[in-house]
Amino acid sequence: MTDPKQAITEAEAIEQAKQGHEAAFEVLYHLHKRRVYSLCLRMVSNPAQAEDLAQEAFLQLFRKIGTFRGESAFSTWLHRMTVNVVLMQLRKKGLPVVSLEETLEADDEAPRKEFGTKDVKLTGSIDRLQLQRAIDRLPPGYKTVFVLHDVEGFEHNEIAQIVGCSIGNSKSQLHKARLKLRDYLKFMRAEKAKTG
Amino acid sequence: MTCADVERVLPELIDGAPDGALRTDFEIHLKACSACSDLVSDLKLIASEARQLAATEEPASRVWVRIAAELRAEGLVHDQASEQDSWRTRPVLVPASPQSRWSAWWLVPVAAALMAAASYVVSHKSVPQVARQQAPVPSVTSPTTATPAANAPSVPAPSPQQLAQRKSPKPIEVTGPAVGSVVEPEPSAEDQQFLSEVSTRAPSMRATYENQLRAVNADILETQAYVDRNPGDVDARQHLMDAYQQKALLYQIALDRIQ
Repeated sequence: MTDPKQAITEAEAIEQAKQGHEAAFEVLYHLHKRRVYSLCLRMVSNPAQAEDLAQEAFLQLFRKIGTFRGESAFSTWLHRMTVNVVLMQLRKKGLPVVSLEETLEADDEAPRKEFGTKDVKLTGSIDRLQLQRAIDRLPPGYKTVFVLHDVEGFEHNEIAQIVGCSIGNSKSQLHKARLKLRDYLKFMRAEKAKTG
Repeated sequence: MTCADVERVLPELIDGAPDGALRTDFEIHLKACSACSDLVSDLKLIASEARQLAATEEPASRVWVRIAAELRAEGLVHDQASEQDSWRTRPVLVPASPQSRWSAWWLVPVAAALMAAASYVVSHKSVPQVARQQAPVPSVTSPTTATPAANAPSVPAPSPQQLAQRKSPKPIEVTGPAVGSVVEPEPSAEDQQFLSEVSTRAPSMRATYENQLRAVNADILETQAYVDRNPGDVDARQHLMDAYQQKALLYQIALDRIQ
């Protein structure tokens, strides 16, 4: 059986998928699966749940692919759907999710330092597990922008299209997310030093 | 520039905004102020470490299998092949990733035997000849795709003697020219052992896998009957190979779920 990933380009795959060709759907899936899954995994930190969310994101995309007109990049459209699927899931779980729009429209204050840690530099490298735990603690709005920019490498103009905000807002939320992570990491490091 | 100014412009400048007077003042302040310098250093460290978390994992192959099944169920995909050749419209699942693991040792030689039988039938023999010989001789040509069994580590392919000892499905009784007129065979020893394992580990799923096994076995038989009548049809032989792959994939999916 021919490897479907090598058969056609993304643009061709989109057109063929609109006509219902299964191989074309498969090409699109394999092109974007890693990034979609990674985004879901960073947002929910649970591989099984991330798989379910990635599956749902692709299904929603494929159901609507007939409406894609190319006004934005296909990946931007896909990742917007992915973010929406993830946030919908978080709401269903009853987590205290503030809507992304509300988070992004919050007044422009630096995040409150919760732990009163001394302003000491984070020296050396950061423990990856601690970083993931710190990311898990971020509010959904901060987490979304941080994961999209610093983890997945999207630019602010792309993030603005994905989450529906301004570029300036995206930069502001990213900055706040990083400040909050810095506080979390310092606290974790201090706790670890106490317990030895 | 003051520390308050730095805090205000940091979102714009930290990720490398264009050079200008503002950036010059910013850089001058950082050289003079250790607190702001440490802050910028920390934020850049967080950003660079976060990048290491990106896209190292892949979803399991079952995710695409489920997506494809759902697309078919919703009628969002179709095949352009002729309605008369019903075997051509049977869905073809994507073979599992070669990195998939096999943790139930007894399923590995079964999958290998399935693939060897498929390769032999597709490459050399028609079905009645296979049935007369009781078991195929695996003079396998190179498969065109990676298969889970072929990539399973440390498992030797079964010898012809081992294959001959396996209970073969009942010989096909083609009752007429129409495609699909085949007798449903009794489950093979491997199928029975597989279903027994499912009953033990995940009894609630037995009915599901039994139905799926029945469907894929029927597909194999129907395609074999077609290949028997049209031995020169390369597409049909390939579809028969795909059907065997589908059965091997069914075993693998079950493994993933019942462990």
